[in-house]
Amino acid sequence: MFPPAFNYHRAKSLKEAASMLAQAGQEAKLLAGGQSLIPLMKLRFASPKHLVDLNFIPRLSYIKKYKDELHFGALTRHSEIENSATAAAVPILHDCAAGIADVQIRNRGTLGGSLAEADPSGDWAVVLSTLETSLSCVGQKGERRIPLHDFITDAYTTVLAPDEVVREISVKIPPQGSGGAYLAFKRAAPVYPTASVAVQVTLEGDVCQEVAIRMGCVGLTPIRASQAEGVLRGASLGEKAIEIAAEAARSEADPQPDMRGSAEYKRMLVGVLMKRATYAAVRRARGERVDVSHLYA
Amino acid sequence: MEPKNWVGKPLPRKEENRLLRGRGKFADDIKMREMLYLRFVRSPYAHARLLHLKLSSAEALSGVICTLSGREIEPLTQPFIEIGPEPCAKIRDYPLAIDKVRYQGEPVAAIVAESPQIADDAAELVEVEYDPLEPVLDAEQALSDGSILHESAGTNRVWNGIFEYGDLESAFRDAAYVVTIDRMHFHRFSSTPLENNVVIAQWDSKDDHLYYSCNNSFPSFAIQFLAAHLQLHIDKIRVQTADIGGSFGIKITNYPQMAVCALASKKAGGRPIKWVETRSEHMTSSAHGNERTFRDTRVALDKDGVITAISSRHIDDCGAYPRYEPLGCVIWSQVLPGVYRVKNLRIDFTQAVTNKCPVGPNRGYSRMQHLWFLERVTDICAHQLGIAPDQMRLRNYIRPEEFPYTTPNGCVYDSGNYPRMLALAKDLLDWDSWTKKRHEARSQGRWVGMGVGTTLDSGTNNFGQSQIVNPDAPFSGNSQGANCKLDIYGEVVVAVGSCPQGQGHETTAAQVVADVLNISPELVSVRTGFDTERNVHTGFSGTYASQFAVSGLSAVHGAAQKLRAEMRRLAAFVLKTNEDDVEFGAGPQGPELRAKSTGQAISYWGLANIVNVNSALLPPELHDITLNCRFVWRAPFKVPDKQKKFGNLTLTYAAQLHAAVVEIERDTFVPRILAYVAVDDCGMVINPPIVEGQVYGATAHGIGAALMENCVYDAAGNMLTSTFSDYTPITALNMPRIQYGHIETPSPHSYSGAKGMGEGGAAPLHTISAALQDALSGEGIVIADSFNNGDTLFRAIVGKQIYQAAHIVSLERRS
Ligand SMILES: Cc1cc2nc3c(=O)[nH]c(=O)nc-3n(C[C@H](O)[C@H](O)[C@H](O)COP(=O)(O)OP(=O)(O)OC[C@H]3O[C@@H](n4cnc5c(N)ncnc54)[C@H](O)[C@@H]3O)c2cc1C
Repeated sequence: MFPPAFNYHRAKSLKEAASMLAQAGQEAKLLAGGQSLIPLMKLRFASPKHLVDLNFIPRLSYIKKYKDELHFGALTRHSEIENSATAAAVPILHDCAAGIADVQIRNRGTLGGSLAEADPSGDWAVVLSTLETSLSCVGQKGERRIPLHDFITDAYTTVLAPDEVVREISVKIPPQGSGGAYLAFKRAAPVYPTASVAVQVTLEGDVCQEVAIRMGCVGLTPIRASQAEGVLRGASLGEKAIEIAAEAARSEADPQPDMRGSAEYKRMLVGVLMKRATYAAVRRARGERVDVSHLYA
Repeated sequence: MEPKNWVGKPLPRKEENRLLRGRGKFADDIKMREMLYLRFVRSPYAHARLLHLKLSSAEALSGVICTLSGREIEPLTQPFIEIGPEPCAKIRDYPLAIDKVRYQGEPVAAIVAESPQIADDAAELVEVEYDPLEPVLDAEQALSDGSILHESAGTNRVWNGIFEYGDLESAFRDAAYVVTIDRMHFHRFSSTPLENNVVIAQWDSKDDHLYYSCNNSFPSFAIQFLAAHLQLHIDKIRVQTADIGGSFGIKITNYPQMAVCALASKKAGGRPIKWVETRSEHMTSSAHGNERTFRDTRVALDKDGVITAISSRHIDDCGAYPRYEPLGCVIWSQVLPGVYRVKNLRIDFTQAVTNKCPVGPNRGYSRMQHLWFLERVTDICAHQLGIAPDQMRLRNYIRPEEFPYTTPNGCVYDSGNYPRMLALAKDLLDWDSWTKKRHEARSQGRWVGMGVGTTLDSGTNNFGQSQIVNPDAPFSGNSQGANCKLDIYGEVVVAVGSCPQGQGHETTAAQVVADVLNISPELVSVRTGFDTERNVHTGFSGTYASQFAVSGLSAVHGAAQKLRAEMRRLAAFVLKTNEDDVEFGAGPQGPELRAKSTGQAISYWGLANIVNVNSALLPPELHDITLNCRFVWRAPFKVPDKQKKFGNLTLTYAAQLHAAVVEIERDTFVPRILAYVAVDDCGMVINPPIVEGQVYGATAHGIGAALMENCVYDAAGNMLTSTFSDYTPITALNMPRIQYGHIETPSPHSYSGAKGMGEGGAAPLHTISAALQDALSGEGIVIADSFNNGDTLFRAIVGKQIYQAAHIVSLERRS
């Protein structure tokens, strides 16, 4: 199938992209990696009249460390994050980047596009919302910085104004003694997960000082497992606490049945993923090198 | 018979160079002058009345040449032939919906445009008004006729027949055990050939000649349907196929799309029309495999666990239109008792239509569903009686000394040795050490199971079985044609009526001819692909139903022998000697025929020269020599007894025996294959790597079907698995290591002892179900469905919603 005809605009700068968007109005879409947009256009689920291509804007793809933050250009590809020594400082980023779909999709798909798409099954939003993440967005009126937890409001919905473009994603590097891990259950590689869980814990000795848990694919946006967090915060992270927290996370998930699985199964998976991710996160918080991989059916 | 210098050798495939370098020629590679592109407009509803169809806006778009609707083609055509008698015969199947749609994805209109892009744009402009009706998604529910798909038939039942053999009453009376199984289900999945359906059609209005270039995999069947539908003389239809990127039987039933392309070409003034199916179209509306439910199964066993009788009710779901069906209602009976000796059987077989994609003869067609049923029956009985599943099979297998074995319904299993296959499989798997490991694993609370699955790949079918579903069906027997010639300059050229999709026909045909002429296969050119104008096809030609090694190569062998006889006669004349003195071989100039007595020789070029361009040299008594020899091979079949449903339905019975160790993860419930063995017996092997490739492919297919691939419909009849992301076809990453082994029990029916093969895709379904059963018997679980993933097993083990032995199975001990 072929998408309907559209006008193609190649922006040379973010400012130009913003003004192109403003000019074209509601019917315009940005083109980053195209790995969400093009399939939708091909199936004619989306039929934008104008595409504004970001791929020719210089300096929109980079990974930099500045003080205690990592900065990602919006056009940074999943595979660049997967293979970046700089990003490796935060292992959960590698967990995420390396597990997205397959090589072809990782080579094209971008971090900015993934967050802007706000797919309920997308990986990045789940992972990054366990960290302090914000997005710098450029519009005709200038730039603003939006915390990630304010950015996504619903499935496929963000607070971006029609003329706004994500320029950069900033992630605070967690302090010493903090560790995170991300695990998804997938039926096959080039497929969105059935369920996923990201965990970030900060330890003092064996006691959990701070914890953030987010669940993916089991709600319209990444779901915060607040009760599970409550169970772990201040507790010593033994088997029992983690088991109780997993039970809490299960009850906080809101999965829908579909071809990926029944609601009960997805809910059960949340518990499994939460446990496995927490164990890996705890070991990483203790300074161990731990490799994790998604669970494949 | 000539010595086998080439048949049986691991020769690399002749077609490899072309296909692996991306230089194959597939239907979509073909471009014709003034070609137009067709796009279907499809129903979003599973079941609805078509109230109104407005095509004018689409037609007004610049670049659109014409449109077609069901209403428009209805007076121009006949409904497609229905193979079944009434009520099936009353179904009116048109390639575009007329007043009703019956599955999501059913075509309601076609757009013809100068480019595929324009056709896609125009399709968006078509306005259709539907009045949704209650969808029927389950075959058993369909049989209640609450909501009827085809009003003209008056029922959703397509076909019903009772297949009863032996004496069930005594068997059940004398049984030591009776096991009952309430319900089992074989799920709906499909093959996903890399290349989707493609049709190019051109209707030449000068002489009403219809030309097709396409990838239909059984063209001689398709043209019979097309000729009747289009009311065109069959000899006016030419079909050509080139390279085909997989079919697995699914491309047999694309004749409705072929019909629309023809009508579109006619309407467009004879311009050629190309239609290229998209993947989503393929997933929703090409063809799926048959889904089947097994009800009220009763099994009689003697005190040793030997099965003496099986009685059951089977309900087959053929989707919205029967098309190739109800042939599947008899084809399963080619393997009525499976690999077992059971003599008393009663199967009440019914087929129903539902609001889902029509089915097509998918790899393992109709037999695999039945064999899975028999394997489940045997396996469940073993667990019920506490007999080790491998021992259970040994007690019930047909014994090696019983071949040729006549089944209760008159089928003759040509050869086989199932105990030997089992022994080899156990050996390759290291069965005994896995038995120990399983024991240890279980003591640690792990769910580890070992399973065996035996499947039959019955090949070269007797089309006379169609008369069991419809006594008036005009088909019986089976045949294939081939031509072997010395071309004008002495090149050896072979043509066959098959249309290979990766089976290596060019290579194996060359091996056969090379042996007959005592030359190298490199010197044999094989014209591959189907062409009605090549004069080698018969009404059964195509590539389907595991038969090329038997029907195709027997035809090639026959043609090559005819050619050899002519060459020998001619050479004897030229070399002034007698025929016995002539030998075939190669000299310094290439292949030649030599007089042993004088050492004089004549090359192939020399022979061809005399016949074709130097014919004044030829005396009248040799004028019948053409060096262009057609041979038609016919299978030795009789018409079956229609009343008794008795007769030999297939010629060869290849077998596959698989064994696996599977573990179900305790936390995710995902089944994982720890070890896998595939043992194959397809008689004498013609080309080992080709056979091995078929085994790996079929195994992948079956593992995918068992664990990953399931056509899911929601309650409204929306197909939820219409993309690869949703359907998750198996890839190399999901494959376990396969240990391959084989034995050879020669078939008496083919000149080489080979049996047809390639459809062994069922074996992993049987094997994985059995291994899961073994792992979970302790949990009170009965594996009652052919599709099992983590979700299924979770719902069974934890949810206790399905698979509960206490509800499904009962065992009655009578002693
Ligand atoms: C088969 C398949 C499997 C996949 N599996 C996964 C998976 O497992 N996990 C996963 O997370 N993702 C998966 N993806 C999606 C992939 O990660 C996409 O790359 C990602 O979701 C979108 O990024 P993109 O750069 O391709 O965005 P595009 O497709 O180019 O754009 C997506 C949307 O974001 C907007 N947008 C893009 N960039 C910006 C920007 N800088 N500022 C504002 N708006 C912007 C666009 O206008 C568009 O609406 C899969 C994709 C495919 C095709």
